[in-house]
Amino acid sequence: MAAKVITDTEDAKMNMTPMIDMTFLLVVFFMLTIDLSQKEFFPVDLPFATTGVEDKEEDDEVRRFVINLTGDGTVHFKSYEFNLASEDPGEQDDAIQALQDALRQVHSERGEILLREKDGASKVPVMIHADWGAKWKYVQWIMQACAHPDIKIYKLQFAVKKPPTEKGS
Amino acid sequence: MAVPLPEPEDTEMNMTPMIDIVFQLIIFFLLSLKFKTIDRRIESMLPKDRGLAPTPTFPEDFLKVKIKAFRRDMADKEKAYTMIKIDNEKKQYVLPKGWKGRLKESSDRIDAYDKVMNTLKSIVLKKLKAHGGSPEEVKGEIVAPPPKGGAVPHGDIVQILNVFLEVGMTDIVFEGAATPLTSSERAARAAGGS
Repeated sequence: MAAKVITDTEDAKMNMTPMIDMTFLLVVFFMLTIDLSQKEFFPVDLPFATTGVEDKEEDDEVRRFVINLTGDGTVHFKSYEFNLASEDPGEQDDAIQALQDALRQVHSERGEILLREKDGASKVPVMIHADWGAKWKYVQWIMQACAHPDIKIYKLQFAVKKPPTEKGS
Repeated sequence: MAVPLPEPEDTEMNMTPMIDIVFQLIIFFLLSLKFKTIDRRIESMLPKDRGLAPTPTFPEDFLKVKIKAFRRDMADKEKAYTMIKIDNEKKQYVLPKGWKGRLKESSDRIDAYDKVMNTLKSIVLKKLKAHGGSPEEVKGEIVAPPPKGGAVPHGDIVQILNVFLEVGMTDIVFEGAATPLTSSERAARAAGGS
């Protein structure tokens, strides 16, 4: 029996279909898992607490402000950055005033009338997303900036994580 | 004159641009992928009537539990630690050493935290029992007096806050460092001093 002899190089083509299938599946996976709202959070080492409630999605109208505080005393709010850890009290005060200005500005951009209760208190909560190692006084200063008579943000949230020893973690 | 039509070629769609785009999408999603880091939060409400006021004084017979925290600083930050006192008791409790933000969570460290916090919780529960009222009626005070209190890590304060919340106390007062003086206040003080 004569064996088939391949004389010409055949136009061998790779079958692309499985690769394209997989690629589309990957795209779908990433589209479903992406959470752009997490972009507001800076990478910090959060404290853990057993009493923390589940962080659920909230009403878009009163979407919270996230104030990040890193371990070195830097505050990140929206695109602003303030350093509370300066040695000079004057610079620290400037940073707090700047944070108050930023809060005031961002709040007014979202619509003052809609976001205020009858007594003038803001409906918008502020989440303090602070590093475990950040000095407590900086957190207090942020709280005081929020409660300033011009700003009147009284609803606070402290970002925490599930204790590592808790079941299900 | 009839022109013979060429035989239909094996026409295939050019997939290359689509694959290019799809790969770019994957790279975008890969780079922007960040799994949810926070899953919990502690809800809180600042007092509307005295947000910036000095610490109010409560009557002596007012039911309260006060936890005082201050920081023992060391040249080596990893050896610094937080000390805690409850009410006027002499005994002090020491939280695990180190600057938590710069240390990895080890099970020993977490166990050490749990041990101190469980002790605090049992003491607070005893005090609540002695008071006799419901936990909501008892005010919790977390005092971090300046300058050493201001340096207590946020995580340690959250742990103390967590103890109060675990036993059902929800009215918590924070007492601590005032904000730095404003430029006008500094100027007034300087003028007054000269």
